[in-house]
Amino acid sequence: MTWISKAITLFGAVLLGHACYSAQEHSALQSFKAATATLTSSSLAVASLPVDIAIETVIAITVILFGLVLGTRPLRPIQWRVWAGKIEREGEEGFMDNDGEVNKDFVGNPFKFLETRPGFVDIRKQRKEFASWVKTSSTQ
Amino acid sequence: MAQVPVQTIHRDPQLFYWILLPITAVMILTGVLRHYATVLMASAPKRLDQKTTREQRALLHGINVRGNFHTLAKPSFDVRRDALTTAYESGAYLKSPENRGQAPPNPLSDPSSMEGMMGMMKNQMAMIIPNTLIMSWINAFFSGYVIMKLPFPLTIKFKSMLQAGVATKDMDPRWMSSISWYFLCIFGLQSVFNFLLGSDNAASQMAQQMGGMAPNAGQMFGPGVDPDKQFLAEAENLAVIEHYSVLDGVEQRLLEGIKV
Amino acid sequence: MSAEREFQIVPIVQEAVVHNSRTLLNLQSLTASLFGVGAGILGLESYSGFLFYVVCSLLTAMLFYVVRVAPTSLASDANGGGGAFDTSRYFRSQVEFWTGGLMNGLAGFILTWTLFYGLVRA
Repeated sequence: MTWISKAITLFGAVLLGHACYSAQEHSALQSFKAATATLTSSSLAVASLPVDIAIETVIAITVILFGLVLGTRPLRPIQWRVWAGKIEREGEEGFMDNDGEVNKDFVGNPFKFLETRPGFVDIRKQRKEFASWVKTSSTQ
Repeated sequence: MAQVPVQTIHRDPQLFYWILLPITAVMILTGVLRHYATVLMASAPKRLDQKTTREQRALLHGINVRGNFHTLAKPSFDVRRDALTTAYESGAYLKSPENRGQAPPNPLSDPSSMEGMMGMMKNQMAMIIPNTLIMSWINAFFSGYVIMKLPFPLTIKFKSMLQAGVATKDMDPRWMSSISWYFLCIFGLQSVFNFLLGSDNAASQMAQQMGGMAPNAGQMFGPGVDPDKQFLAEAENLAVIEHYSVLDGVEQRLLEGIKV
Repeated sequence: MSAEREFQIVPIVQEAVVHNSRTLLNLQSLTASLFGVGAGILGLESYSGFLFYVVCSLLTAMLFYVVRVAPTSLASDANGGGGAFDTSRYFRSQVEFWTGGLMNGLAGFILTWTLFYGLVRA
């Protein structure tokens, strides 16, 4: 995902740089012509930009814009219940950056503490698990 | 030919390389430098002794109870309120109970409070010194040049600001001198810093000015504030709360949410 | 009172709000400089330049909506049935989402616009 956006942005930047250079050369050439032909003022000559450069600029901007938008980080739901539901369902994968790393301000599941709360612990199940663990370790 | 002829001024292209680029580069580098200087100069939070911490935490406890009372059941809220109010009014959490009722000490004489002020001073200095230096540098070297033309027309009032040092009466206010490029850089380089240094950088001056205006959390326990008065005010705030719970009428809301 | 109650019943995750608006702000300040480059190359002047900026930032918001907001907010039924162009899943105010970029990037836009206008029309 991220290399696509980077490649698109780079391509657009190359286009934009080329357009900028062309426009600069064009205006330099025009003013040079005007100076040699001793026209009244150079402003008449510089006034218009060739259509192809204009089109190239607009396309370059659109391409870069697309690349930049693709490169933004994923958003997070702001409502607590939606956000918590997302964490419950997706865990850390819901908070990946574009680079595939877990975001560093991801604090973990906010409902994790409910599992370890004394009132919520299933003591019988834990006891059963412990008994079976003792049994398996004693038979070996 | 009713159109007013456009003013054209032939400028040396070398102006670009010797004025515009240096100013821009210096502005960007100063921003980066300021960011790292602020990071380096940031003093670690001061260690507080146990009594002070208790005092501050007790006050925060009261504030949090007041802010989140709707998640507590009525009995538990009442118990908390009673305990906190009595403790506040008796001054149980005060750092020095014997000083109750006395005027707070002068903040300037207290050495511990001086440090906080020094921190603020350092931040201010990191802002002001580079700006003054650069401005006088530009004024000394680059004043009197017209380097650029703004792409949009302005009224005549901007002339004195944009064309400082260029004493030409008839010139269009769109032409700007180097000092106005400097001002443009101050305001416009925000996004460049955003890109270079990440969004929570110290170089962005606007954010700093905003932060200076907003009351930060450290202000609450700042020097010169009487904790006893804060406690009494907090006790009063707690006493006037009319308790309700978010769970009031939750069955109704649940039933409404269920679509058959 | 009732608005406050509503807010307490449906709480908002503050970190997520900050994260979202920072993401949007980064994009806006970057693209504003980009539009300045474009306007400078095209040689736009006065009103047409500002118009270009407004149109482009609305386009940015639109593209951002299509890429980042729409796929999830339209799929979920939890957004209260706001329909298309509803950003309440990720942003607290719609106005901030659609027009916030105009103010945030204006200074950067003018800077690069002036710079490239001067560069190209030297």
